[in-house]
Amino acid sequence: MGFDFSVIRDNLPYLLWGRTAYGEPGGLLLTVIMAICAGVLALAVGIALALAAWRYGGWTRRLLFAWADFIRGIPLLFVIFWLYFLIPALFGGHVPGAVTVIVALAWFSSAAIMYSTLAGLESLSAGQSEAGIASGLSQSQVLWLILLPQAISNLVPSYVGLLVSLIKDTSLAFIVNVPELTTVAEQVNNRSQIYPMEIFLFIGLLYFILCGGLSWAARTPARF
Amino acid sequence: MRGITFDWAGVVTGQPAQWLLSGFLTTVYVTVAGCVLASAVALVVVALRLAPGRVGRYAAGTFVEIFLNTPILVQMLFWYFAAYGLLPRTWRLFINADHPWAVLPVNVIVLAPEFLCAAWGLGLFTAVFLAQELRTGLNAVPKGQTEAAMAQGLSSWQTLRFVLLPQALVNAWQPLVGQYLNLMKLSSLATGIGLAELTSQVRKIESYNAHSLEAFAVGTAIYLALGVAMGRLLLLVGPKRPDRKRSAPPERAGALVVASSARGSDGI
Repeated sequence: MGFDFSVIRDNLPYLLWGRTAYGEPGGLLLTVIMAICAGVLALAVGIALALAAWRYGGWTRRLLFAWADFIRGIPLLFVIFWLYFLIPALFGGHVPGAVTVIVALAWFSSAAIMYSTLAGLESLSAGQSEAGIASGLSQSQVLWLILLPQAISNLVPSYVGLLVSLIKDTSLAFIVNVPELTTVAEQVNNRSQIYPMEIFLFIGLLYFILCGGLSWAARTPARF
Repeated sequence: MRGITFDWAGVVTGQPAQWLLSGFLTTVYVTVAGCVLASAVALVVVALRLAPGRVGRYAAGTFVEIFLNTPILVQMLFWYFAAYGLLPRTWRLFINADHPWAVLPVNVIVLAPEFLCAAWGLGLFTAVFLAQELRTGLNAVPKGQTEAAMAQGLSSWQTLRFVLLPQALVNAWQPLVGQYLNLMKLSSLATGIGLAELTSQVRKIESYNAHSLEAFAVGTAIYLALGVAMGRLLLLVGPKRPDRKRSAPPERAGALVVASSARGSDGI
């Protein structure tokens, strides 16, 4: 069989940014926007939860772990379904699908970020804490000024790995028809019918460049 | 805001209950098929990475990079919409024909493009992660084990099969189980290529009688329960570290690991 990539050329703007010109971001652009928003949210929430679990321990910690295990125990798709239902029920009115998926992705990933941040905090030697306390810092200051900065710089590769997963997970928005890359590709496939090979290879390549590029950048010696 | 009332009968009785049951079983079947395929492919990938010869190593490395850096959903869509059409016509006719032996209870047709593409896609995707975990497990095996095996006159294949792999399986069993569980959860994405598994049946109930909240709750509970049961079962049948209480002299501890996990690994 021969490839005919004219279908890609003809639909390239649609695949790359969808109907952005009409005020509705889509395609690859929406994929990137969703991944960045969800990533920032997940980092903030995940690190905050890890700090809470570290600082208070006991029931707080047990509760947070139960919550994280629950989130990790169900398919991401169900987290998305639940939020589609709960966000309008709680806040009323119409919430754009893309926002719902961003919140779901952030919620799902924050559990993983909490786990790895906590592991990063625990892997630091106890001497760090002791030295901080001996210098007259409070518990919170030790955590904020001494432990967290070290943990985070050790954790950068792990965070990048999670961001790569996040980029891949944005494709789930296809199931709920949010017009990101996978959804617009399927639309183009439906319209053209006879070029599935070209279309899915092409968007596979786009994802590969995004995700592979990020992992590659994370693997090359750090200069943070 | 309207008050929320629950009507569980609309989900757990009659037609919706039938759908949930067949969806649950389809999820189980596709998970089992995917796990078996994933394990086989993962072994091939690990063997290729360890074998001498650059071609095999590059092939395995390329396979891992491609499947690691693209979404599983896109891979499934690719297999279903693009690759399946490349199969010879006679194969496709065979797959689409009626095969009473390929119908599992309750009326789940296994020899169908949706099922095959879902199991295939899940299997290949998960194989990459299984291979990574196995490699980590292999790296944790002390170097002396390889040297000892070589000194006993085992070939490098025999060393891998009888000495290194059994110990790697013991080392990596917990994360491997995590990956199998992940495959089960990812099977929910097969709803995107029209496989009538649990997630797709839950959505069918939603559009049938609008009991979405109840249907989501039941679906969530089923996935959680299935995950817990599957995790317990895999940890139970998996290879275990030898009983520490049996006081083996340190030199023999390694040999014990080999013997007991070689037995354990046959059951996988």
